[in-house]
Amino acid sequence: MFLFRLASFVFGYVNMLVQGENIEKFLNVAVSRGIYLWDISRAGDNRIFVKTRLSAVKPLRHIARKTKSRFSFRGRKGLPFIAGQFRRRKSLLAGALIFMAGLYILSSFVWFIDVKGNRRLPPDMIMKTAAEAGLRVGSLRFGVDRQRVENIILERIPEVSYVGVTISGTRATIEIAEKIIIHKLQMKPAHVVAKKAGLVREVLVLVGNPTVKEGDIVVPGQILISGVVSAPDGQNSALPGGPAGGQLVPAPAAPPAYVHARGVVRARVWYEGYGEAPLVEEGTRATGSTASRVCIKIAGKEIILSGVQKIPFSMYTSERDVKKPPGWRNISIPVELITDKYTEIENYREERSRDEAAGIARRKALESARCGIAGEVMILREQSGEVVLKNPEGVIRFTATIETLEDIGVEKAIH
Amino acid sequence: MAWRDFKKRLKRQMSDIMDIPSDIVMDLPKIVLVGDLQVFIENHRGIVEYTAESARVSVGEYEVAVTGEELLLRNILPDEICLEGRIKSVYFIR
Repeated sequence: MFLFRLASFVFGYVNMLVQGENIEKFLNVAVSRGIYLWDISRAGDNRIFVKTRLSAVKPLRHIARKTKSRFSFRGRKGLPFIAGQFRRRKSLLAGALIFMAGLYILSSFVWFIDVKGNRRLPPDMIMKTAAEAGLRVGSLRFGVDRQRVENIILERIPEVSYVGVTISGTRATIEIAEKIIIHKLQMKPAHVVAKKAGLVREVLVLVGNPTVKEGDIVVPGQILISGVVSAPDGQNSALPGGPAGGQLVPAPAAPPAYVHARGVVRARVWYEGYGEAPLVEEGTRATGSTASRVCIKIAGKEIILSGVQKIPFSMYTSERDVKKPPGWRNISIPVELITDKYTEIENYREERSRDEAAGIARRKALESARCGIAGEVMILREQSGEVVLKNPEGVIRFTATIETLEDIGVEKAIH
Repeated sequence: MAWRDFKKRLKRQMSDIMDIPSDIVMDLPKIVLVGDLQVFIENHRGIVEYTAESARVSVGEYEVAVTGEELLLRNILPDEICLEGRIKSVYFIR
């Protein structure tokens, strides 16, 4: 039954009012001719409503004439009539078609390119190489030869060990795995110089000429291991076939050799810090409650879109974030989206005992001392002490000293 | 008439013996009632009368009359009629 109705809808059907003296005959003749009629109901004396398919209307005219009845249409439904409506509204149909075509055409371009998996390589460089291979923003999806793009990226960028190009929708993803390339050691002549002041504890020379020894105090920038190596005196005299008759012949001074000095110079380094804490602290701090509101500003007038109307705090700080549409030439759109964020603050007064204040001051002092420490260090000693002044002003002050052992050498090229 | 009666009797006996539904063998109407909502009449010979309160359908030698309220011919096919409405009675008119 449903299929029947569906077919009727597809081919179109009409509801018609049949009038005549002998309606039963009209029905019988129509049925015997194979015309499908349904939903027949009485509308009054000698009048019935009949539904029938569009294709049956023409034969029904003959039958009506034969059985001396008349019919008129009361409703029409189905696809042919809907199509007819669209035929009258051509521009709507054209718009729908243009929309579909636009959707199809626009979705056949690559609009976004993502680069994934790169750690050291800049994504711009990979995108540029991909663009040269034919994958750029705005290129046709079907025109991109992914294999070719992959091969070209692999060829042009030696740091890349794997490339995978996938295009899903309008987004292309370039997945990259980088090679780890071990660069050759720099062999330019260089000194090892101190980067920090300290007391040298041990010197381990791999290449070069040490200029400091244990116990020396060095300042930043001082050469620790020199890259300038003068040939040792004993070497000339130890040359085979050298001295004749046991007499030392002073050899002409060999020009100094330049090497890339390397070595480890460990030194004790001191870091100092200072911290203070008042016995009575006053100030303001955030309570943690915030409120925000979004408003749109049109030509000087602010309209609150969402959020609080009145700021529910007596004391607060506010942050304002203004978003403006980008201007073009001399035209600027006078519309701004403003997001205000209010943070409630409160006054506070904190009284501390001497011990508490001392603890805070010591902690701050040690923290400030630790600020300067970086890299691989061994902490030898941490020390802190109170600074006692004549008039303490209600403030506890501490200094801290941290002593570390660390490699202070850093390479510096010889000019 | 005797010849026709004889044929009828033969057909009925045949359908009894062969266990074939008699509506097929004897070309009789098959009337199906679904509650008081629908009447299906198969093997009909055309509509004789149709109003909102009653309908008569020719089924060969006699007529099937259906009375009710708001009767509606749901569909008419060459061998089947479906009537819908609040049906009061179905009876035969000879």
